[in-house]
Amino acid sequence: MTAIAPHPLKPFLTGSSTLLSVDGLSVAYGDTTVVHDVSFTLGRGESLALIGESGSGKSTIAKSVLRLLPHGETSVTGRIRLGGRDLLALPEKQFRPLRGRTLGYIPQDPSAALNPVRTIGSQAHEAAALTGERDADKRRALILAVFDTVGLPDPVRVYNSYPHQLSGGMLQRVLIGLTVLPRPALIVADEPTSALDVTIQKLILDLLTDLRQEHGISLLLITHDLAIAAERTESLVVLKDGVVHESGSSARVFADPRSDYARTLQADVPALNPDRYCSQRAAEAQPAETSGRAQIEVRNVSKRFRVGGTEIAAVDGVSFAVGRGKTHALVGESGSGKTTAVRLLLGLEQPDSGEIAVAGETVHGTSRAELRTLRRHLQLVYQNPFTSLDPTWRVRRIVREPLDRFRIGAQADRAQRVREAIAAVGLPESALSRRPTNLSGGQRQRVAIARALVSRPDVLVLDEPTSALDVTVQADILELLARLQRELGLTYLVVSHDLALVRQIADTVSVLQRGRVVEDGAVEQIFARPQHPYTRALLDAIPQPTGLPRPALGQRTPGRPTLGQPAQPLFTH
Amino acid sequence: MTGRYGRYALLRAAQAVIVILLAYVLTFLVISVLPGDPITNTLRDPQNGLSEDEIQQIVAHYGLDKQAIIQLFLSLGRFVTGDLGFSLQSNLPVAQLLGDSLPSTLALAGTALLLAVVFAVVIAYGAQYLPGRVAPGLLRSVPSLFLSVPNFVIGLVLIELFAFRLHAFTIIDPDSAVATFFAALTLAIPVSAPLAEILIANLDHESRQEYVLVARSRGLTKTRLFARHLVKPSMLPAVAMVALIVGELLGGAVITETIFGRDGIGTLVQKAVTSQDVPVLQAVVSLAAVVFVVVNLAADLVSPLLDPRLQPDRAAARTEPGVVVPA
Repeated sequence: MTAIAPHPLKPFLTGSSTLLSVDGLSVAYGDTTVVHDVSFTLGRGESLALIGESGSGKSTIAKSVLRLLPHGETSVTGRIRLGGRDLLALPEKQFRPLRGRTLGYIPQDPSAALNPVRTIGSQAHEAAALTGERDADKRRALILAVFDTVGLPDPVRVYNSYPHQLSGGMLQRVLIGLTVLPRPALIVADEPTSALDVTIQKLILDLLTDLRQEHGISLLLITHDLAIAAERTESLVVLKDGVVHESGSSARVFADPRSDYARTLQADVPALNPDRYCSQRAAEAQPAETSGRAQIEVRNVSKRFRVGGTEIAAVDGVSFAVGRGKTHALVGESGSGKTTAVRLLLGLEQPDSGEIAVAGETVHGTSRAELRTLRRHLQLVYQNPFTSLDPTWRVRRIVREPLDRFRIGAQADRAQRVREAIAAVGLPESALSRRPTNLSGGQRQRVAIARALVSRPDVLVLDEPTSALDVTVQADILELLARLQRELGLTYLVVSHDLALVRQIADTVSVLQRGRVVEDGAVEQIFARPQHPYTRALLDAIPQPTGLPRPALGQRTPGRPTLGQPAQPLFTH
Repeated sequence: MTGRYGRYALLRAAQAVIVILLAYVLTFLVISVLPGDPITNTLRDPQNGLSEDEIQQIVAHYGLDKQAIIQLFLSLGRFVTGDLGFSLQSNLPVAQLLGDSLPSTLALAGTALLLAVVFAVVIAYGAQYLPGRVAPGLLRSVPSLFLSVPNFVIGLVLIELFAFRLHAFTIIDPDSAVATFFAALTLAIPVSAPLAEILIANLDHESRQEYVLVARSRGLTKTRLFARHLVKPSMLPAVAMVALIVGELLGGAVITETIFGRDGIGTLVQKAVTSQDVPVLQAVVSLAAVVFVVVNLAADLVSPLLDPRLQPDRAAARTEPGVVVPA
């Protein structure tokens, strides 16, 4: 890359130490203002995070800086200065030369960020052309070199591949490499790792940090994750509903949040507060110990799938047991077999070998009647409440459906049960006549939980129950699940890739890798003394902001005040 | 990959042959359950002046005295070997009748298909690419306009305007190049509408994708963005649509040929239906099936070349959720 001549536009960027300054920025879509009077500055070579939940306007600010907002539908006022030039005042013709060369963009979902019908190489040339290199062979050499730099194993194969042939992590490496290739002064990264597995997330963030420091590139990081922001950037801006609630150095905001909202965010990040739900859970834990038989028993279960001629062991000799009123977690990344394990438990797949028992009854799943009995004992809460609820049905019908399917109770009885379930999840009765589209993400997940509860099961399978939700909403849902478990004596099986979350809510855990249990045991023990390298890798992937002691994940000391947690309980019932 | 594609292509081609044979059988069955026996009726028509002996000879030759199922196999055998039989009305070989009318219809339908594709592309890409709001907005409303005017109205208006007023062509010579063009125009206008609609919808969809944003962030001009990123992905559903449109062109040809006084397949069908000329009908229906199947086969074979995700090796690798396939 040393052969690249300095870009003609670079000189105007030298001089003062401020690279980007946003001043009084407001953005409106039609009549709705989504960003209100936002100001911040980013120094040359420095990094800044815009942090907030969905609807906070963080992506809109990023797209305003990049001038990628849809034409004609948005009105942007205020000033965005880059090296002293007002970007909003530039005509497109003068702004275009800055695109890619001075302002780089790393998108959220790498699998959607490349044209699916063109090879990666052909698209890479568009980025390589920004270096000013006119010779196609030399451009190709530059591309292969940068693929190597970002740690892609076989650059030539990647160059000739189509996007769908690579994993998300590899695609994000491609995109980072291509963004860095023309050596921009500023990279805007919009949630660059939220679509990736946790261990990949860490690798990608490490890569981004290294390249940034090596080439002195400034970073504007958009994220919903306070821990990542604090770990990776020097300063941060906390946004809610398009308004800045707090800004300052990351270490300071993180250790000593002054605004209410930043404090809430801080308290809700699972990684920072391992004992958040401890006191609520402690109450329920005691009597359960003695209650004889396990509610879920999985003994040496295996399941293989044939894929394109080769056989893959999706689940390979997996065993675990969960006692009544306990929470067990299956942890692993994509391809670890956790989804298949859940499908086996639900009777949606038949195991090749091994035995599964729920509430003392063996699951064969061969006849309709058996499946019916199974589903009365065991219900599933899906990962994404935005897709798991039929948008054309009203909440009443959604919650009632299992009762109708299983012919539980008389008509009047069913209506009563639906009302009870919706009250149990903390929704008002008026919610019954609404449709999912009129509900927020958290409300939808409450509906999904009510639907699972209405048939009064003993066991709930929670498949990544909060991964589609904002962090403060996540906390509400976890709070609700802890309360329901205490009140109803439910047994939970949680499937998740998020160890920090598992640490908060589970008693025991099985770590899955490629279909095998590599480690299992009590949560405290696994977190304090991980034996298997894969478990250690997963634990390392939990973001750790620098300059702060690592939260003591290994011990559980009920009532111990954790970092920044307010003295009073956040929620009351 | 080529080996897999080759196998896929062979499989699709074999399926296509089966579909054509089934279409033939189906037509045969439908015609055989129709009331009356058009063949014997025609043979016994005194105007034809056939003696009883001659009738018996013909009946024996075609196996008309045999059971329906045996007749079906005999007929199928003749179809496979290319023997389409004789027209009941004109006593000419059906193959010859088809040969006489086919070129005219092919010229009409081919030109119409070309025009329809050109219209659709101009409308859709114009609606996406033209600056401002007025011109794209107008272009977007064109397909519904095209759809709402019936084929025969367009034809009559074009004849009135270009033949009688402007004398661009004469209706006495319907097979001239200019007359063919206007007939094809009549056929193309309604047919281009769904194609344009699907192109517009698809361009809208593709231009909202994240990869377009990423490409823009690299400073691609509007023209390059369009040419390099949007054209190819937008073509895919259109290819499937073109295959369907060919069917519509064959149907529309009947009306258009009547209006413009052309002697094509449409006219042949019309006469065959009124006179219950079974061999001709059977041949034309089979021909339509062949054309339709071949065009759809072509679309199926082209699609994987346009979109690598449809390539057969990937299609086979669809897995259970949670199982990772080594890339």
